[in-house]
Amino acid sequence: MWNDELHNDSAEELERELDRLFAAYREACEAPEPSPSFMPRLWEKIEARRSVSYSFARLSRALITAAAAICLLLVVLQTTSRTTPVFYTQSYVEALAEASAADAASSFEISLYEVGGGDHYQ
Amino acid sequence: MLVDAKLIERAREGDDAAFNQIVLAYRRRVLGAIARLIGRREDVEDVGQQVFLRLYLSLDQLRTPDVFEPWLYRLTVNAAYDYLRKQRRRGELRMADLSEQAVQMADAAASGLKRREEVEKDRTREYVQSLLAAVSEADRALLVLKEVEGLSLKELEQIYHVNENALKVRLFRARQRVLKALASQRGAAASGARE
Repeated sequence: MWNDELHNDSAEELERELDRLFAAYREACEAPEPSPSFMPRLWEKIEARRSVSYSFARLSRALITAAAAICLLLVVLQTTSRTTPVFYTQSYVEALAEASAADAASSFEISLYEVGGGDHYQ
Repeated sequence: MLVDAKLIERAREGDDAAFNQIVLAYRRRVLGAIARLIGRREDVEDVGQQVFLRLYLSLDQLRTPDVFEPWLYRLTVNAAYDYLRKQRRRGELRMADLSEQAVQMADAAASGLKRREEVEKDRTREYVQSLLAAVSEADRALLVLKEVEGLSLKELEQIYHVNENALKVRLFRARQRVLKALASQRGAAASGARE
């Protein structure tokens, strides 16, 4: 019990000592007087940051404009290539119909030839 | 508040003259808080400028002028915290890390140049700094704001956006660690005196 009281006393003493130290620390760390260059230097830093932000914004804008221009160019190219098709002008069915019409014509010619020219072999 | 809400509104809208007035009104308070948070006089202005630069860049995010002071305190704590972290990373040789003999030699040299009172203040600063080294940078900032700056739990709640109970627990633990460091330093001093 005696030891406990002694321990409590020393703990309380430590608490008081720490409070005293914090108070002394506050006294020892009083606010320093700002130097005359404080405001000019601050504004220099603000200006420097502003110019960096401004350059970045300009660069971003330029990149966005370039991207938009490229998109527009691609759209124009796409549209132009659709209006003047280079390859297929017919659908598959049309091409098939055309081919079968040509086949029919040639088989008709062959049969005419056979009818007309049959005597030659006889 | 040291300035009125209209001035803050004007600064928020991009009025540089209004911002300048705010800096002039708050710079001593901010520099004082930084001095107590970092404990190094020579870097106080640099950290202070960092605070006001961050304020300038983030002022448009301030919802209402009513929360301006907690907002500024938060920026101050964050800048001090960043500074302390950098210092720890650099592993700079500090007075608090010097041997007892080196501290005595430095004190002796300093006492020749400074008044006794100043030497005593320097010693207090170094001693408290060495005790605060027992906790993390974040806990150190919290403890200094409460114990040295004298901010209330309500004010701390506004700064940290953490509820009062969580703050109390964190403060208690940080204080216990500092008390432990104080006890061990006193023990070491007592055993040194006996030898």
